[in-house]
Order: sequence, then C-alpha cells, then structure tokens
Amino acid sequence: MTSKTLKPYLKYLSDSHIEEIHDGSLDLLENTGIMVDHQEGLEFLEKHGAKVDFQTKRARIPRQLVRRALETVPDRFTLAARNPEKDCPLIPGGRPYSRNGGGADFTIDLETGEFRPLLHADVKDYYKLMDALDGISFIAPVFGQDMPVLGRDILMLREAFGHTDKHIHLRAFTGESLKLMFEMAVIVAGGKKELKERPIVSLLEAPISPLKFLDVTVDALWLCGEYGIPLDVCVMPIAGGTGPMTMAGNIQLLNTEFLAGVVISQLANPGAPLQYAPRPMAMDMRTGFSLAGSVELGIMATAGAQMAHFYKVPVSLHGPWSDSMTHDGQSILERMYMNMMAALAGANVLVGAGMMQQSLVISHEQLVIDSEINHIAFRSVEGFEVNAERLAREVIDRVGPGGNFVADPHTYKFLRGERFEPTLQYRNSREAWEETGSKTMVDRAKEKALAILEEHQPNPLPEDIRKELDEFVPKALKSLEK
Amino acid sequence: MSDILVQMQKDLYAGNFSEVETATKTALDLGMSAPEILNDGLIAGMDIVGRDFRAGDLFIPEVLMSAKAMHAGLEVLRPLLAESGAASQGKIVIGTVAGDLHDIGKNLVGMMLEGAGFEIIDLGTNVTPEQFVQAVSENVADVVGMSALLTTTMLSMKSTIEALQDAGLRDKVKVMVGGAPVTSKFAEDIGADRYAPDAGAAVDTARELVALK
Ligand code: B1M
Repeated sequence: MTSKTLKPYLKYLSDSHIEEIHDGSLDLLENTGIMVDHQEGLEFLEKHGAKVDFQTKRARIPRQLVRRALETVPDRFTLAARNPEKDCPLIPGGRPYSRNGGGADFTIDLETGEFRPLLHADVKDYYKLMDALDGISFIAPVFGQDMPVLGRDILMLREAFGHTDKHIHLRAFTGESLKLMFEMAVIVAGGKKELKERPIVSLLEAPISPLKFLDVTVDALWLCGEYGIPLDVCVMPIAGGTGPMTMAGNIQLLNTEFLAGVVISQLANPGAPLQYAPRPMAMDMRTGFSLAGSVELGIMATAGAQMAHFYKVPVSLHGPWSDSMTHDGQSILERMYMNMMAALAGANVLVGAGMMQQSLVISHEQLVIDSEINHIAFRSVEGFEVNAERLAREVIDRVGPGGNFVADPHTYKFLRGERFEPTLQYRNSREAWEETGSKTMVDRAKEKALAILEEHQPNPLPEDIRKELDEFVPKALKSLEK
Repeated sequence: MSDILVQMQKDLYAGNFSEVETATKTALDLGMSAPEILNDGLIAGMDIVGRDFRAGDLFIPEVLMSAKAMHAGLEVLRPLLAESGAASQGKIVIGTVAGDLHDIGKNLVGMMLEGAGFEIIDLGTNVTPEQFVQAVSENVADVVGMSALLTTTMLSMKSTIEALQDAGLRDKVKVMVGGAPVTSKFAEDIGADRYAPDAGAAVDTARELVALK
C-alpha cells in the first residue's frame, strides 16, 4: 500500500476552543455589533435582518445571518495567472503558495546597499525579479515614490502586467481606482466573463480593528463579488493596541471581524471567493510599533488558520516577515520561523517575501533568499511517500550490514525528487568557499538578483492587449482627476 | 520632601489613581499649595515614570496608567491652578493628515502627550491643511503635530506648513511630524521644526518645542 505522510499541521486550539471562539464571535456580532461607515451597507444589513442604529452606524448581526453567509463561502478557488502554468489553486489541504509583501516603497539599493526611496525604475526591476523567482508564486505591488500620487495604484498594475505572467495581487488607494484596475484586468483576461472564470488579479481589504468597516472596504467587498475577484479579508488587530493584549482575545476579535466580512460579502454575492487572512499583530510596548517578526504572531496566526479550516475557507498567513532594518541575521531568523509556522499551520498562501521594517522596505537580496525560504516551507509540508518500495526493506537487505547505498539502483532511481536542492545554501568545502571569494549567503543572493535582472525576459503581453491597455490607462488616469 | 508627596509619587508610578486623588486632597488639607503639589508631587513623579520608560523598564500601558493617576490628581488641583495658569504644559493640536486614515500611532502619541500634561486638541484623521490652520488659530496652539503613514499623504504635511505660513501663523506655532515613513530629513526638507520617531520621543520633543517658544 502506498500513502502520503500526514499533513503536519500545527494546532494550538482544541476542538472545544474553536467552538468557543466561533460562538463568542456570533455573540459579539449579535450583541456588540460592528460599525459600518456606509449608508447603503447599513441598509443592506438591515434588510437582511440585522439590527441597525443609523445614528451610531452600528449593525448588530444575528447569528442565523452569519450561519447563512458561511454556507455559501467557497472552500476553494484558483488565483489564476496570465500563464495558466503559474495558476495557484487554493485547495483545502493543498500545497501552499507564496507572494511578496505588498506596499513597500523604500528599498535597499542593490548596488550600494544604501536605504532609499523606491523609484519607478526599481518597480520594473522588482516585478522582473519576482517573475523569475520560482519560490514566489504570485506578485503584490511595490510603489515608486517618484510616480504621480493620483493613480499610482493603476500605474503599478500596468507595470505588473507588463513584467509578469503570474497572478497579480492588488492594493487600491480609492474605490474609483479599484474599479478601473478591475477593468484593466478585464482587458487582459479577454472579457468580464473570462475574468470571473479565471481571476488573474485578487485584492486585499481590511476592516479597521476593532470592529469598524469603512465605506471603501464595503465597496471593495461588493465590487470583488461583482467581478468575481478573490478577496483576502485581512483582519489585523494589534494585540495591546487595537486588539486585546491576550492572544486568545486577539483571535476572538479577528475571527469576529472576519465573520462580519463574510456576511457583507456573501449576502450580496453568494459564493464570492474569499480568503481568511488573519494578520494578528502585536504592539511593541516600548515604542508602540506594530511588530512583524514576533513568535506570538506565528502562534496567533496558527490559531487563525485553525479557524479558517473550521470554516472551510482558504487561508493566507504572514510568512517570511521581519522587523529588521535590512536583510541581516535578524531578518532571516524571524522570517524563517514565521514562514515555517505558517506553512505548518496549513496556510494556502505565505505572505511577505522581501519585506522588512514595518512593511515599508523591500530588498532584492531578501526576495531571492525568501524564494529559497519558501521552497523550504513548501517542502516541509509536502511530507513524503510511504510504500514498500520506498521503505526499501529489500534494498536494506540487499546492501546488508556494513555496505553502502551510493551505487545501488534504488538510490539512482530516487535520486531526484526526494530532496529540495537549495541554490543559496552553501554546502561545499571551506577550501572551495575561500577560492570562490568567501561569499556569504547575502552576497550570493545579490549575485543571483543581478544575474536575473541582466538576463531574465518576462513573457510580454500580447500586442493587441498591450495596445488596448495603453489606450485605457491614460484615460483612466484622466478620469481620476475629476 | 514631605512623606505625602513621596507616597504620591509611588502611587503615581504604580498607577493607583484613587490613591493619588486622595493624596492630592490630603496634601491640600495639610496646607500645601497647588503649584507645589503639582511640581513636586505629580510632575516630579511623572519624570521618574518617563525616565524608567526611556530606560526600557516601563511599558507604554504602564505610562498611560500613571498618566491617568496624574490626571486624577490634576483634576483636584485644576480649579486652583486655573487662577495661576499653571495647569497645562502647553496646547497641542494633533491629527492625521489629509487622505490618511491611519490613527493608531497618532492616538498613542496623543495619549502620551496628554499623560505628560499637555492639553490635546485631536482633529482625528484625514485632516486638511485648512482644518489644521483653523484649529491652530482658534486654540492658540503651541505645537501642531501631524502624523502620516502613507508616503502619498506625507506631502500633505508640507501643504499644511505652507498653509500655516499663508495664514501668518507659522512663527507662532511649532510643527512636529511623525509616522512610519517620515524621517528627520523629510521633516527638515518640508520646514517642520521637529520629527519624532515614536510616542516617547514625541513627549520629549514637545517639551523642547514648547520651551523654545
Ligand atoms: C505629531 O508627531 C508625531 C510623532 C510621532 C508619531 C506620529 C506623530 N505619528 C506616529 N508617530 C510615531 O509614534 C508611534 C508609536 O510610537 C508610531 O506610529 P505608527 O503609526 O508608525 O505605529 C502604530 C503605533 C502601529 N502601526 C500602525 O498602526 C500601522 C500598521 C499597518 C499594518 C497598517 C494598518 C494597521 C492599517 N492600514 Co495601512 N497599515 C500599514 C502598517 C504597516 C506596519 N506594519 O506598520 C501601512 C502603513 N499601510 C499601508 C497601506 C498601503 C494602506 N493601509 C491602509 C489601511 C489600513 C487599515 C485601515 C487596515 C489599518 C489602519 C487602522 C488604523 N486605525 O489606523 C490603506 C490606506 C487607507 C488610508 N487612506 O489611509 C492602504 C492604502 C492599503 C489598502 N488599500 O488597504 C502601507 C503604506 C505603504 C506606504 N509606504 O505608503 C503600510 C506600510 C502597509 C503595507 N506595506 O502595505 C510612530 O510612527
């Protein structure tokens, strides 16, 4: 008999903890409610049976409503790519995928190592680099500070489409630009129906902790439903700041916010694809900063993943994340455990590659290293096959006591495929290391980044689509000015 | 120093607000003057709290609890101090700049400043240059504090400083800026008086700015 090893999923919560948190969220939604800064949203919730106080913008959501909304949430969907070979199907118990951390607009200069604003020229390089790195499955925006403020998000998407055929994750600055970006995706996908079938973009939206939904968030939830665009419902209370100090309390809060998002999304567009994105954070009590690389985040996120599994929705967690200022030892230490915990928690998406210092800074070296860190995480959850041939009793018998396996046909047969072969971890002799310049891993990452930027040619957009996009974008930017 | 003030400082440090309130009343009953209790009891106590916070021994919530205790004492003294005008360390208008909705850092800075005895006029988020100008002029503020978390909204700090100039207020008010993407270089470039990297630094910076006035 052949079988795969177990899913090595980490668990902190017992089944009864999960029930208690779920029940607590239903209670909070019913009694405390959420604040919805959106007139139509309030009317919508009232129509569906929520108790709404229009003065305080508070909506108290009865439990039946939450249960009904949960029934229609899909348990799987695909983050499609312009190149179908790079699709990321998010499936319960499936392999994890990964993306870079979105939103950075500072960089560590690849040549000089200096910290500086990220510029338009860097944006192109970053997309190109991430297009080439196979440990980065899809791509989130980085912003150029020299690009016009109005429509910067739209220009980012234009650059992304031109530099990668992977799936693209969006960040929108306004509701208007979001709609325009979806229209750009319609052009590239070849139609609104085609986009719905193969959503080549996805979005992240976050309520404001605790328990507050802005008008833009509600609009985005609905617009995603209308276009069939997968949405990360990103819930990010900062423990001790915008969420309770206790880990349990923070999970209680973020789960409640997630369920509120499910209600707003699913009652309007049943079956709209969405992902649970628990991003529990922690306030550093000495500076007030919101921490990215702290072991408790990994613990809380794991509990969040358990809630996602309980609701049967795909889950995205912070993976390679760090508070470090640059791609140093601290950075690699923090992102390694964050990413391993996330992968072992059963995340469908590991978020954060490249990102440092309060999610403001990205570096080429870190992206290259994170591509490798992601591969290690992918490998860890993959487990291994167990069957008679692989248990190799016959082989052990054949080789016998004192023999060796190096030249055995069994070794030859399974040589490739059992192991992940790293490209950055140095494994040769000291002599060889010294002869090749005593390079550290960061040096090797830098060389690899430079080589990719020199050589890699992203798959260009088909000419007709490129033309159509380039006609659309200037008009879109113009329309924002009004 | 009198025993009662020593105890008051200890209670302040521990965040025991009802004890601080009672001690303030007792001190008055014992014939101490309001400014004496304020300076040698409450403010001196908060200085110890501030020292230990900067040394990394105290956490922000502990500082806020001490501040709450200080305010309990201050409320008792306020009517008496109003006569001498010594109640406030200075007036600070604070807000998150136009286009920006991030308010966690701004709120924290506001709380810490309030804890340190400043009077805070919080304009909330998405505050336009005009709103800053109006609030500065209406409240005769000593300092205006702007927070921005987006690189795209940081530029609104510059517009606000220009608006203050246009309104003829720039030399009457000190400008402090902060927020994750803001740097001291940026502060200098846009003509702000000071940049503060975190809430603790914001308190020290505000003190310096008020002293400069
Ligand atoms: C006056 O004097 C002073 C002196 C000191 C001052 C000061 C003023 N103000 C601050 N300080 C200083 O003291 C404080 C403590 O000691 C510090 O304050 P901070 O504010 O820095 O620190 C806080 C205490 C804790 N930190 C925070 O509160 C910010 C945390 C992060 C995760 C963050 C959050 C929480 C949120 N966000 Co937003 N968010 C991120 C942040 C990434 C990160 N890890 O930092 C950042 C800032 N966000 C970003 C983005 C892009 C966005 N966010 C958005 C929305 C949100 C939420 C609403 C979900 C939420 C805000 C909730 C709220 N009530 O504020 C959107 C914009 C909305 C808008 N128009 O403002 C949106 C555009 C994304 C979107 N479309 O969803 C990024 C900015 C990128 C850039 N460089 O411009 C970002 C770095 C994350 C990222 N990489 O995407 C110091 O800076």
